[in-house]
Amino acid sequence: MLNRVFDTMWGQANALFAFRRRRWLDLLVLVALVGLMYGLVIVGREWTGAQRPTVEIDLRVTALPKYMLLSIVRAGVAYLISITLTFTLAFWAAKDPFAERLLVPILDILQSVPILAFLPPVILAMLAIFPRSNIGLELSAAILIVTCQAWNMIFSFYQSLKTIPPELEELATTYQLNWYQRVRWIELPLATPGLVWNSMVSVANGWFFLMTAEAFSQGSLNFRLAGIGSYMQAAVDAGDTTAKWSAVVAMLLLVVVLDRLLWKPVMAWSQGFQLDENLRPERPKSWILDVWRRSRFRRWLEVVRSEWLLKRIPKPKDVARMLPQEPEQRKRAASFLAAGLLALLLLALAFAGFKLWSILSLVNGADWTRLLKAGGMSLGRVLASTALVTLWTIPIGLWIGLHPAVAKRIQPIVQVSASYPVSLLFAAIAAWLLKLKIGLGITSVLLMVLSTQWYLLFNIIAGAQAIPSDLREMGKAFRLTRWKRFTTLYFPAIFPFLVTGWVTATGGAWNASIITEFVSGDGKTFATFGLGSELQLATAAGSIPLITASSLLMAGLVVLFNRLVWLPLYRMAETRYTLDR
Amino acid sequence: MNLCELKGVQMRFPGPKGQVKRVLEDINLAVKVDEVLCLVGPNGSGKSTLLRILSGLLQPTKGEVRWHGEKLRGVNQSVSMVFQTFALVPWMTVEENVRMVLRARDLAEEEVREKAAAAIHKVGLEGFEEAFPRELSRGTKQRVGVARALAVDPEILVMDDPFSQVDALTGEALRQEILDIWSDADNNPSSVVLVSHRITEAVLMADRIAILGGTPSAIRTMVENPLPRPRDPRSAGFLRLVDQLHDIIASAELPDVQVSAPQPELADDVLEPLPHAHTADILGLLEFLDTQQGGNCDLFHVVTHTHVPFEKVLTIVKGAEMLELVDTPRRSVVLTALGKKFVAADMDARKDIWKAQLLELKLFRVVRDLIELHEGELKQDELQHELAVRLPMENLELTFGTLVAWGRFGELFAYREDRGVLTPE
Repeated sequence: MLNRVFDTMWGQANALFAFRRRRWLDLLVLVALVGLMYGLVIVGREWTGAQRPTVEIDLRVTALPKYMLLSIVRAGVAYLISITLTFTLAFWAAKDPFAERLLVPILDILQSVPILAFLPPVILAMLAIFPRSNIGLELSAAILIVTCQAWNMIFSFYQSLKTIPPELEELATTYQLNWYQRVRWIELPLATPGLVWNSMVSVANGWFFLMTAEAFSQGSLNFRLAGIGSYMQAAVDAGDTTAKWSAVVAMLLLVVVLDRLLWKPVMAWSQGFQLDENLRPERPKSWILDVWRRSRFRRWLEVVRSEWLLKRIPKPKDVARMLPQEPEQRKRAASFLAAGLLALLLLALAFAGFKLWSILSLVNGADWTRLLKAGGMSLGRVLASTALVTLWTIPIGLWIGLHPAVAKRIQPIVQVSASYPVSLLFAAIAAWLLKLKIGLGITSVLLMVLSTQWYLLFNIIAGAQAIPSDLREMGKAFRLTRWKRFTTLYFPAIFPFLVTGWVTATGGAWNASIITEFVSGDGKTFATFGLGSELQLATAAGSIPLITASSLLMAGLVVLFNRLVWLPLYRMAETRYTLDR
Repeated sequence: MNLCELKGVQMRFPGPKGQVKRVLEDINLAVKVDEVLCLVGPNGSGKSTLLRILSGLLQPTKGEVRWHGEKLRGVNQSVSMVFQTFALVPWMTVEENVRMVLRARDLAEEEVREKAAAAIHKVGLEGFEEAFPRELSRGTKQRVGVARALAVDPEILVMDDPFSQVDALTGEALRQEILDIWSDADNNPSSVVLVSHRITEAVLMADRIAILGGTPSAIRTMVENPLPRPRDPRSAGFLRLVDQLHDIIASAELPDVQVSAPQPELADDVLEPLPHAHTADILGLLEFLDTQQGGNCDLFHVVTHTHVPFEKVLTIVKGAEMLELVDTPRRSVVLTALGKKFVAADMDARKDIWKAQLLELKLFRVVRDLIELHEGELKQDELQHELAVRLPMENLELTFGTLVAWGRFGELFAYREDRGVLTPE
């Protein structure tokens, strides 16, 4: 019976494969669905359950799937929140010029701030709000992930909405598409490729943060959420090698499966919405998407939809809608509403600012000096790690990017490694390095390198691939030496990409500084002088003024550095070294 | 009887640096029942803007649009537009592209499918329903554009230079098909309004031809086309009308006598507006004239020989004339003595002539003096501000671009784009 159902649903796809793939595939889908349900049930129980700051982690390998599911559901819920935020905020900013002028700069700052700096205060606040149930911890994880993944998605969507080709805009106006049709037929498809790409980056980021948030410990306090992150932490604490390795492998499996089953098909699908008609040769392909496209199930869905459309009786056209004079009033009402909302937002900000001021006034001068020194130390580590990463990624990235055959083979590996949340490994690696008597200062830099190298590598590969072949041929034709080619051609050509990579990499390194300057393992804690460890120590001591001061100081340092160093570099890259014009 | 009427229409756009771009001034134009109306004119004469006002996409700053005698508010549902760049939605198939505009009218799905199929049939695109735009040639894309426009059964079909992006043969076929669809008097569209950059296209298709020109642009002349249909582009009557139109445009755009000499007390402030001609194009024109008998050629022969659209040739000729390298008695373009010397000279000597001629122009003398005044480093913004004040009618970016290109070629000054400054060469 079941076979018959599968046959009708996937039968068409059979032609694609020499061997029968459909049964295990269908089983996989079923298992995934059942798993998702089960996960939701467990999560529901966890959320409403009584608070247990120190969750007992079951270190048997058989318990691992449950923890993985919990983490997946957590990441999924956070992504859903992020995408909802994306739609609302991006539309608002794109359609309301008043909101645009306020929202865009605010989002820009939020985007560049190291969100992990707010993990300790958020957790403390949430615990204070929900003292009885686990929901406080779950919420802080959700908030943390959302705040690390929403901004680039919002920006990408907003950019797409602002750069709709004028002829499509005119098309929508002359043929009087209503707002829903505009969104559905023009704006949403146009934004899809960018949104998909940014979702991929964001979800990878989310995993990185989730691993930290799940296993957050603060001296004697151990705030743990049952999940793969806390499983790993528990394994490291207990020195359980089997558990450690199985967590590492499980995460790897998860990343690979997500890449194959989710991102690949979605990427390939989103290529259909490219405006650029020149089909690139390395258009992403996905067999899952092909199966879906050729499946009977899909065709059946289409027939159902078509029949539904035919049965639908259209409403008579609202003639008033055609006249621009009338909607003016509606528009004004909408903008009043928007202005009201904005005013509320600003009031809340002002209130928060006032509160912050009164808290910060409790921090004394000596503390400020220490924090500033610590900030300098952390900045030094961040820059050192970025320099290290730059040194190894430039030659490798150029090599990959300039050789299409190599890129084709290596790119998938790089992509999977990039989406692997290295924060999962931090505790284990730190414990190992410390055992080798390498100081935590250097360890911290190495861990930063691990978590930020991919940003740069990706950007450099992209930059190298963007070098037009005529320029490369010119370099060969005039027999420029390798070094000459690098200094006059390749380096300037990848420079804009390099700057973008640096901005993201330093941002990532700041985030990493919070979890790498203060490490617990084998029942001991290690700290090295830096802003990240200051923040953690302040949290352990429960000193709200110090926590606030250090997180704000870190945010301020990053923003300042972006404005003073990266922005001018970026401008220069855009005007002088762009290949676009 | 008039379908649509533009009365005293004026269009202004806010420009950069607080400039006001005056595009159209005092346009009175009627679209009659059952006619093909064609708009021709040099680049930037607001033809496309006029079309968009007619279809209700743009609201005129002054004046009004009347539709069947009533004031039009908002987008006109009975006008549909064919775009120069097709404006097909790339992620929709041919069929979906056509159905989309019908769905936007909230028709019943059955009607949507019927009408879309009929429109696709009309332009002969059956079999292409499932194709995506990226699979189609430009000509086929424009067919989809036409099918989409016809699907909503418009009274006026408005076409914004629809064949300029299409290859010559397909264009030929499309023109004829549009005429066939239009000539069916019982069915819509009743009238066609067409922007064109080719005089022969206008004469082939139009019953009336409106010639636009000037800054801000106005309708210079309205020419009736009495030729019987179908029209033969090789017939004597056809050629005569083309010739007549050429005369009108040449005398309007390249007057033999300065029509309006500036008043002496204002002469100090008046700068010459720059025609936006590329230096390479001007050089090309001079070389081309040099190959002609006596360095003399009819303006419209240049068009046919070089396959450059006439608006562009006009701009290039104006540029060369401004530098006194050519002269334009009536319709012909003639190399001046200086022009001949220029063509014969080597690159260095050419640049010297060019520089000397630039300095004959007040605009370039002003720029040179400004650079000196700012101690050898004139900020782009300051120059643009000056230009905005002294050439309020002109397109600022284009003028600036042309100014820089001419000045660079004559080695009069250098321009550093990344720093946004002009410096002496």
